Amino acid sequence: MSTEEEVKKIVIARLKIMSPNKKISVGSVGEFDRDELIESVKKGDEIGKKMVQIELEFLRSFKKGIFA
Amino acid sequence: MNKTLFITRPEHDDTTHYLSKWGAKTIEFALTKGINVLDLPQGRASKKEVESMLKKQNPSLVLFNGHGSTDTITGHHNEPIITINNSSILKNKIIYALSCCSAKRLGVNCVAQGAKTYIGYDDDFILVYEPEKITKPLTDDTAKLFLDPSNELTFSLIKGNTAEIACQHSKEAFKKNIQKLLSSEATEEDASLARYLWWDMQHQICLGDPNSSF
Repeated sequence: MSTEEEVKKIVIARLKIMSPNKKISVGSVGEFDRDELIESVKKGDEIGKKMVQIELEFLRSFKKGIFA
Repeated sequence: MNKTLFITRPEHDDTTHYLSKWGAKTIEFALTKGINVLDLPQGRASKKEVESMLKKQNPSLVLFNGHGSTDTITGHHNEPIITINNSSILKNKIIYALSCCSAKRLGVNCVAQGAKTYIGYDDDFILVYEPEKITKPLTDDTAKLFLDPSNELTFSLIKGNTAEIACQHSKEAFKKNIQKLLSSEATEEDASLARYLWWDMQHQICLGDPNSSF
C-alpha cells in the first residue's frame, strides 16, 4: 500500500468517529456530512485533499508541540 | 464623537446563517459599549451598499462575515463586495474578515492600499455544526466551539485592545476549546473536532500594524 493510501485510511478512520448528524463547512466549497467527506477522501477530490492536508498538519503539530 | 463599527451579515446558506447570528452577538456587545453600528444584514450586504456606506460613514472598524477567496470577500448570494479593484475604500481602517482565504492576497493588498490592519484567514475557515440546530444556531454547542473564539477577537477590538492583543485573545479561546476537546473527559467524537479548531487557529493572521486599536 502506498503512503498516500495509508494516509487516506487514517483520515477516513478519523472521519468515521465523527457524528453522522454533524456537518462541516469548508470555506466556499460547501457544507458536507461525514459520509460525503469519506467519499471525497476516497476519490481524492478537492475537499478530500483538504481533509488529508488538515490531518497531516494536525499530526505534525504534535511533533513540534501543539501549543508551542 | 462615537466610534463607528461596520458589519456585513449575508445570510443565504447554512454557513452564512451561523456567521450572521454570531455577528448579531458582536452588534449587541458593541451597542452596550456605546458604539455606533452600521449593520448590513442579508440582501443589504451588497457591493453597492457596502461601498456607499464605507464612503459616507467612514467607520474605523470593519467586520466582514461571509464567503471569500484569496482575492475576494463576498456578500449576500456570494456577490463579490471587496476585491483588489475596490480595496482602497478600506484605507485607514481596521478590518476583520471571517471569510475564507482572503488574508492570503486581498488582505495583503488592502494593507498596501492603506488599511491600518487586516485580520483574517489565509486558508479555508472550517466550521462544524449541528444541522438540527439550524433554526436556533446560538444553541449549537458545536458551532460555538468555532465561532466564540472568532467573537473573542471582535469583542477584544471593541474593548479597545490592539489588533495583536485581540488576535491573541482569539487564539487563546481556540486553544482553550482544543484543550477541552482533548481532555480525558471528552468523548472520542468530540476529540475528533480538535483538528479543525487547530486549523482555524493556525490560519488566522494579522497583517499591517499590530498596534492599531479601535
